[in-house]
Amino acid sequence: MLVADDEDDIRALVGVAVRRAGCVLAASVADGESALASARAELPDLAVLDVSMPGRTGLEVCAALREDPATAGIRVLLLSAGASPDDVARGLAAGADAYLPKPFAVADLVGGIRALSTGQPA
Amino acid sequence: MTAAVLSAAPGRGRRVPQPRVPTLEGLLPTAGSMAVAAVLLAAGALPVLDLELTLAGLLSAVAAGVLARAVPSSSRAARIVAPLAAVAGTALVHAGTGALVTLFLLMPPVVALASGAARAGVLAGVLGSVVATLAPAALSGTPVPGATVLLVPAVAGLTGLVVADLGARARSRAEELDVASRMLSARAQTMTSVIDAVTEQSIIGTDPDGTVRVWNPGAEKMLGVPRAAVVRARSIVDFHVPEELDAAAAEFGTADRLAALVHVAQQNGSDVRDWTYVAADGQQRTVAVAITPRTDDDGAHAGWNFVGTDMTEARATERMKDQFVSLISHELRTPLSSILGYLELVLDDEEGTLSDEQRQFLGTVERNAHRLQRLVGDLLFTAQVEAGRFTLQPGDVDLIGIVRAAEETARVTAAAGGVTLVLDVPEDELVVPGDAVRLGQACDNLVSNAVKFTPSGGTVTLSLRAGWRLPDGTVSDGEVLGAEPVARLAVRDTGVGIPAGEQAELFTRFFRASTARRNAVPGVGLGLTITKAITTAHGGTLDVVSAEGQGTTFTLTLPR
Repeated sequence: MLVADDEDDIRALVGVAVRRAGCVLAASVADGESALASARAELPDLAVLDVSMPGRTGLEVCAALREDPATAGIRVLLLSAGASPDDVARGLAAGADAYLPKPFAVADLVGGIRALSTGQPA
Repeated sequence: MTAAVLSAAPGRGRRVPQPRVPTLEGLLPTAGSMAVAAVLLAAGALPVLDLELTLAGLLSAVAAGVLARAVPSSSRAARIVAPLAAVAGTALVHAGTGALVTLFLLMPPVVALASGAARAGVLAGVLGSVVATLAPAALSGTPVPGATVLLVPAVAGLTGLVVADLGARARSRAEELDVASRMLSARAQTMTSVIDAVTEQSIIGTDPDGTVRVWNPGAEKMLGVPRAAVVRARSIVDFHVPEELDAAAAEFGTADRLAALVHVAQQNGSDVRDWTYVAADGQQRTVAVAITPRTDDDGAHAGWNFVGTDMTEARATERMKDQFVSLISHELRTPLSSILGYLELVLDDEEGTLSDEQRQFLGTVERNAHRLQRLVGDLLFTAQVEAGRFTLQPGDVDLIGIVRAAEETARVTAAAGGVTLVLDVPEDELVVPGDAVRLGQACDNLVSNAVKFTPSGGTVTLSLRAGWRLPDGTVSDGEVLGAEPVARLAVRDTGVGIPAGEQAELFTRFFRASTARRNAVPGVGLGLTITKAITTAHGGTLDVVSAEGQGTTFTLTLPR
């Protein structure tokens, strides 16, 4: 499981949700470049990416993962402060499997991680 | 100062008529008839009993003609003395010839007297004709038939009266025309001065084909082009961004840029919207332009009026404000995620380590964090509405469910405040096309507002009804053929009410009624703005009726 968010507190919160979902955290990073590098190195089942990150945005990382056959199978859950229908549409168009606007309920995030890590739609 | 209003088209009675000597008042007919008499005398067609009297008569007529030409036409000499001299000449000719037919020579001076001196002239003409008729008896002892003495003055008097009346009427019309001309001239002058005084708004008038005819100092200032360089020489579309007009033309299904510009005004009679003007230096200005068609005196289409207010700075400020609100709201969501997320983790206390008091305190924190979250959501939503980025997720919405949910949401707060909630909804479903989440939000806003503004002991009633909207905007409860089927939700409270003078501002962002501030009712003034925006996006209307101290009714009408 990979978590990428430039906010330490959110990263830690997502870490808790990952554990509660019964998954193992492989990497926790704070920017888009590191997220892409970790994803290529670790090949996690699921990447939880913040949309607004320094360097590459979550949308760009998602698109890059989809373009590379080695990482195209990684499931992606996007987190974003953008909650409008347009924001959600942009996230899904970039190849994300699920989109969760901030602020989110931890229970919803846990449910999303469980669903995606077991290969079900969120 | 620039003369903004063009001179009137020639003709159309706007010119003051120049005075001239009327034919009736001149002595041309007298001179002509005397000349004919002289010819007849010379030819022997008229008898000559006394050559001296006859010649004296002809000379008097000539003298009268000379006098009339020599003095101003409006003078007493021209109007009275000269015709009387001609009458005297006729009397002498009558006496000199003894021929009754010469009395016809009275007609021109009698007419001139009546025309030039009205009733007094008529009287003078009658008296003169009596003298002329009796002249042979007086000067040469020739008897005159009694009938002639009566008939000639009578005919002269009646003719004079008719002429005097016609003259009075003609003078009256001329005076009316003169007054009307002066008024028109004064009105045009007033319009010119008013339009010229407008320096902060552009006033542009065009022909039907868009050619500029009116260009005020405000237009000169806004677009940097002097009037002389534009009027009759340029088209209104020259000052617009072509791409903007082309986009409008594509939207309205026309190939013509001017037709696109005036399309809505042509359909609705007027149109106010932002257009981009291009100034002489190439700078673009965002201008709120009011477009109206112009008609001529006969009601025929004569062109277009464009009254523009420069909104460039105002719109830039609005955009900045919206961007700021959007940015702040966005940035607030991240810390809110942490607050709510960690609160959830703490409150999800599986081991039961929290005391009841700690749980109560954390509950307060959570409630306020959610309040902050709603505020951020409202701010973002209004920013989206202002920026025109607000979209609906369409579907079929059962309004009964929406209203019941709003009542349920407000129930706890109403009970705590001692407010009775009354629900009055139809038994069948009432479905409208729309966005269920947004309509729920609008309904929640109206109900929570009503509860907030109603003191303890009051009542809030939610009535939902099907109706039919008539062309005049009124809604009938019974089905009307051809009327638009609608759904109407009325939220009526017995609260503090809204002062009449403030009701027009109710839907403005951040506006709070004085009754809200006075009664310390919490809120930031976004709820009604959002409700109005949602209603408008659904093609509906939101009306308010309120009396201070008695209560308020908001009526939301949606097409179904």
